[in-house]
Amino acid sequence: MSQLIASPVSRRRFLAASAVAAATLGAPGVVRAQKKEIVVGGAASHKAFMEPNILPLFEKKYDCKVVFEGTKSLVNLEKMVSNRDKPYLSVVMMDDPVMILAVNEKVIDRITPKDVPNVSKLRPAAVHMDAMWVNYQFPWAGVAFNAQKKAGGVASWTELWDPKNKGKVIVPSLQNTEGLTVLFLAAHLETGKPLKEAQYQTDAAFKKLKALKPNLLTIYTQMPQAFNLLEQGEALMIGGALSSYALQRKTQGAPVDLSTPKELGMTMPSGIAKVKGGPQPALTHAFINEMLGAEYQKLLSKVAFAIPTHVDVVAAPGTPDASRVFTPDWANVTKNRKAWVERWDKEMAV
Amino acid sequence: MSTLDVAVRAPASRGERLDPLALLALPATAYLGIAFAVPLVLLLVTSVWTPAGLTIDGYVKFFSDSYGWRVMWNALRAALWTTAICLVIGYPVGFALARSRGVVQVLLLVALILPLSVGVVVKAFAWTILLRSNGVVNQMLLATGIASEPVRFIFTEAGLVVGAVNIFLSFMVLPIFSVVKLIDGRLLDAAATLGASPLHRFLRVTVPLSMPGVIAGIAFVFSMAISMYVIPTLLMGDRYQTMSTLIARSYLFMRDRSLGSAVAVVLLGIAVAVVVISGWLARRSRDVR
Repeated sequence: MSQLIASPVSRRRFLAASAVAAATLGAPGVVRAQKKEIVVGGAASHKAFMEPNILPLFEKKYDCKVVFEGTKSLVNLEKMVSNRDKPYLSVVMMDDPVMILAVNEKVIDRITPKDVPNVSKLRPAAVHMDAMWVNYQFPWAGVAFNAQKKAGGVASWTELWDPKNKGKVIVPSLQNTEGLTVLFLAAHLETGKPLKEAQYQTDAAFKKLKALKPNLLTIYTQMPQAFNLLEQGEALMIGGALSSYALQRKTQGAPVDLSTPKELGMTMPSGIAKVKGGPQPALTHAFINEMLGAEYQKLLSKVAFAIPTHVDVVAAPGTPDASRVFTPDWANVTKNRKAWVERWDKEMAV
Repeated sequence: MSTLDVAVRAPASRGERLDPLALLALPATAYLGIAFAVPLVLLLVTSVWTPAGLTIDGYVKFFSDSYGWRVMWNALRAALWTTAICLVIGYPVGFALARSRGVVQVLLLVALILPLSVGVVVKAFAWTILLRSNGVVNQMLLATGIASEPVRFIFTEAGLVVGAVNIFLSFMVLPIFSVVKLIDGRLLDAAATLGASPLHRFLRVTVPLSMPGVIAGIAFVFSMAISMYVIPTLLMGDRYQTMSTLIARSYLFMRDRSLGSAVAVVLLGIAVAVVVISGWLARRSRDVR
């Protein structure tokens, strides 16, 4: 110790050494600080294919960092509304009925071909309200089942109501957009009318849904928990399960599969939009453009089991034909959903 | 003197000088002021103030709908059951802990405190596995012949209470333990020499002396149980609403801040009432002693 104290270190040498040390330690921080970053608000269930497959490609190409905040679409909407004056999200990926609310709240901005050239390569059905938002994929909802305990799959939605499946059925909450599939299919089964007409028969839908109560194991808001119960055999079927989650679990080796019953499945359009006044506009445009481009759409079709929206990209094998899926009136959904959820809470409670 | 006794003690009189040691509480007070008091005031304001002006619509909507009462009763019922079972199980454990010595006491304390380091989400999810038809609970019932076929526990109120008791039990045991260990054993000996039977000694000496711990435990467990959010979400799903889940739903889904904050204020009122009544009971039990 005394040697150290007595060592001939001049003040000048000490200051020089300190400067070198500060530069060495501080430089990576400066470099890190210079790296651009955008925050994308998306669906929690999409995290599984976005984080390992899509985001690394984008981060590498644009030398940036993308933070993916996975939650419910309505929570993303609340984040945009609450931070309207100083948005921190750059991009939102939500389902169509919530996009309509976002347009009404004036928290998303129009996507123009000048900023996002790939928007002109989309199928017309994927562009909404003059490109206030667009769809980057069309997943669909069907009936997921435990492949070990129900090897034949699910031929009809009526199997959910079969008394032999007492306590073995799970359905999504109406808070989750895929939950609307069960509501509309219940209306169709109760009235016998085509889905296009039956979707407006709410009273009939609730009458049929109440008859489902003895068969319900639970109603979920958290998809992973529901699939865990299905995979473990505690549940036999999930009515209104998303292809992007169910088929991904299947490829990961879980004993689950997804049927599109004879009465049809339902499309669950995945939208993407630019947050109004969000940070990093150039990077935001690049991200949306890549999501709509052929390269990412091919990859998404493979990893998310969804129908592509780019005109030149062909759907991956196993994706149902457009005639096997029903597209509801999303404007009607947006108008009535709150009332439906309130009614659902009361009539479907334990 | 228990923590509760300190908490309910009368404030210093006007002429009494402030103890400089009280300044040590200044950082925590400042933190709570910013992190708790300010949001609380904002919550109270939001419950009666909307962009349209002053209103009590949130309260009217909650109390005028039978579903609101049903949700409140759900939360109260689950909290009452959880608190009662925690008390029945936790009271003897508090005594066992206080009376044990050396390694046994250390092991008991570790068994009680270590589970607190595991997150509520993990514990609640673990219960969804244990309560399944092929889970450990059903396997035990079938193996012992108590049940002839699997009993449905998962997504039932019984399952919810079982899971909540597991998570909150420590908060009942620890206050009871901290009070019971201070009970002078010679008081029981004195009662015995005066001819009191074991039951009489327990009811007239032990129970009154342990009341501050019991009341503190009830206040802790009830306050946490009535406001639990993760446990009912995972163990009951969307078919069973409590006040906490209704608050989240009002804010995040219905986007009805007025209703959400009104329910939050009602929940807060219930929790404050429990603490105030507990304080009053603690003072009363001390006065009786």
